[in-house]
Amino acid sequence: MKLTVNGHSTYISTGGIKPSIDNQAIIFLPGSGQSHLTFVLQTRFFAFEGYDVYAPDFPGHGLSKGNPLETIEEMADWVAGLMAQCNLKSAIIVGHSQGCLVAMSLAHKYPDLAEKLILIAGALQIKVNDHLLDKSNSSLPLAIAMMTEWGHGRQGHFFAASQPGHSLLGIGRELMMANAQDALPADLLACNQFDATNIAAEIEAPVLCILAQDDKMTPVKLGIKMSDTFKNSTCVTIAQSGHMLPIEKPDDVNSSIQKFLN
Amino acid sequence: MSHKYKFDTLSLHAGQTPDSEFGSRAVPIHQTTSYVFRDTRHAAALYNMEVGGHLYSRISNPTVAVLEQRVAALDDAAAATATSSGMAALFSALLTICSAGDHIVASSQLYGANVNLLKYTLPRFGIHTTFVDPTNHEELKSAITEKTKIFFSEIIGNPGLVILDVDAVAKICQEHSILFMVDGTFNTPYLMAPVKNGVNIIIHSLTKWMGGHGVAIGGVVVDGGNFDWGSTDKFPTISEPHYAMDNINFYEEFGPVAFTAKFRAEAMYNFGPCLAPMNAFHILQGLETLPLRMQRHIENTQELLQFLTSHEQISWVRHPSLPEHPQHELAAEMLPRGAGSIITFGIKGGRDAGKKFIETVTLSSHLANVGDAKTLVIHPASTTHSHIDSQSMLSAGLTDDMIRLSVGLEDISDIISDFEQGLKAASKL
Repeated sequence: MKLTVNGHSTYISTGGIKPSIDNQAIIFLPGSGQSHLTFVLQTRFFAFEGYDVYAPDFPGHGLSKGNPLETIEEMADWVAGLMAQCNLKSAIIVGHSQGCLVAMSLAHKYPDLAEKLILIAGALQIKVNDHLLDKSNSSLPLAIAMMTEWGHGRQGHFFAASQPGHSLLGIGRELMMANAQDALPADLLACNQFDATNIAAEIEAPVLCILAQDDKMTPVKLGIKMSDTFKNSTCVTIAQSGHMLPIEKPDDVNSSIQKFLN
Repeated sequence: MSHKYKFDTLSLHAGQTPDSEFGSRAVPIHQTTSYVFRDTRHAAALYNMEVGGHLYSRISNPTVAVLEQRVAALDDAAAATATSSGMAALFSALLTICSAGDHIVASSQLYGANVNLLKYTLPRFGIHTTFVDPTNHEELKSAITEKTKIFFSEIIGNPGLVILDVDAVAKICQEHSILFMVDGTFNTPYLMAPVKNGVNIIIHSLTKWMGGHGVAIGGVVVDGGNFDWGSTDKFPTISEPHYAMDNINFYEEFGPVAFTAKFRAEAMYNFGPCLAPMNAFHILQGLETLPLRMQRHIENTQELLQFLTSHEQISWVRHPSLPEHPQHELAAEMLPRGAGSIITFGIKGGRDAGKKFIETVTLSSHLANVGDAKTLVIHPASTTHSHIDSQSMLSAGLTDDMIRLSVGLEDISDIISDFEQGLKAASKL
């Protein structure tokens, strides 16, 4: 569905089913340079499971217009505004990578909005190396190539895919190329500047951390450290996957979420 | 930094991880029509495209999927869907996009069956094609109308061996918001993977070099994932709610692989052009050695070109690597590993001499195929292109004396010896 948020057309994937407002709401927040398509194998699944699904594209990403947001806090405020516009009093918040930082910021700043957090391939800090930051400005295709290569585990590099005929590396590249040119640099800078170490310890909502064993971007040890910081958290590690867990191991991710929510 | 595997490695491994149950190193042949659902919810999830997996082998199959993912990897694309033949791939891809009233612009330098599909079959369903000289870009632009959805061409034309300037044509297609679809059979991903050049959809006949052994017919539709379906209102079946699955919007739901999602949900579902798992297995065996074979194909082609161009019985020789080919420089730039292993030539003495040559060679096989490991010869005017009209033949660069040669992998001295005795017999007419 499309809404106008802050004067800009904003796309929100609802998993193929229009939200009813009566069902439990679940919001999916993508990572740097990603869009609702990161969660293509979660949005439809949970919509057909009976949840009201919202997977928004942040400004300048995917099918949303507008200038990319510049800080994680600004993104959390944007999500809070979107929830108000959708008449959502609270929701389960699912983040992937940078989306985890946004989810933590949201849960800290607006505790009533986040019933539960599900943080996929996340960390308290996601530091971005200078070379990647530089290339995201000077040579976007190269930066995207680096991220898609780092982002996928060994099976992804062997072109394994749960959806027949798909190339996760090829899809990842084209998905990121479809964003506004300044979306990725803004995201990476926002990630680099945010630190959730102090706020995570104050979050009251139950948290599920889903980590990828072969994650090169947010290694497992950082995910475990993040999980240990929360007051109430559960942590699962999924084998044979890289950072792009939602598309590399969708069935494992979905069943982990179901188990946590049930 | 993660290591990105190279072409030769991907030819052997892409799309497959060793079978987790038995550890089979070779790709298992899943010779099954259907798959047992875990429960009713799982069945519904497969039908709704909520999850990945297989529900019926007309739609997808695990063995075929390995082939599809391997081709997608080799073409550096977003996705691929295998079909029962190259013609099934082209027909299904065109019908995934076009409806009655739509228009296609196509190269006049096409394989005979491609010409017949566009010129005679599709007009019966209200889809019309304007054929243009693919080297004349002004003619190409002039042929595009507001109803045009696709420009279609072979990269190396069959059998005229005209080279398409992919970069220049991609720019024209982007400017007019039309889909750029190519047949990449003669180049294979080894010689050119054109998604990075702006090609949106690639059709391959897998029967040819990709399989290479001549034991299985197959095709594939490769989705570059690089067409912005939202940039134009020309493609409502992709970018607007569709009848399948509760008015699904393929563009919004699947982004870069919107075309493939619709192809799988409509063409595979409703037309049924599926590839048999056994044929997928055979083609995979061939793909494993594609880079090695292509190197040898190109080496033998160069040797044979030297022989033919210096032989007194030969009246003319055409290959994009020859300096006299009008697109020699373009071919060298665009296809640096080689411009394919098809040579066309004429023998002094015309049609009768050509006929004698074909009937006299013994190592080279006279048959209607290309891209086999074995050397193949044919007279297109009386075979592959015999059912197209004389004007189309002329447009395709076909002459009555033309012999099409698909250079094989035999020892080059044996191929040359075979040709020497064939040409000697032809000279005695």
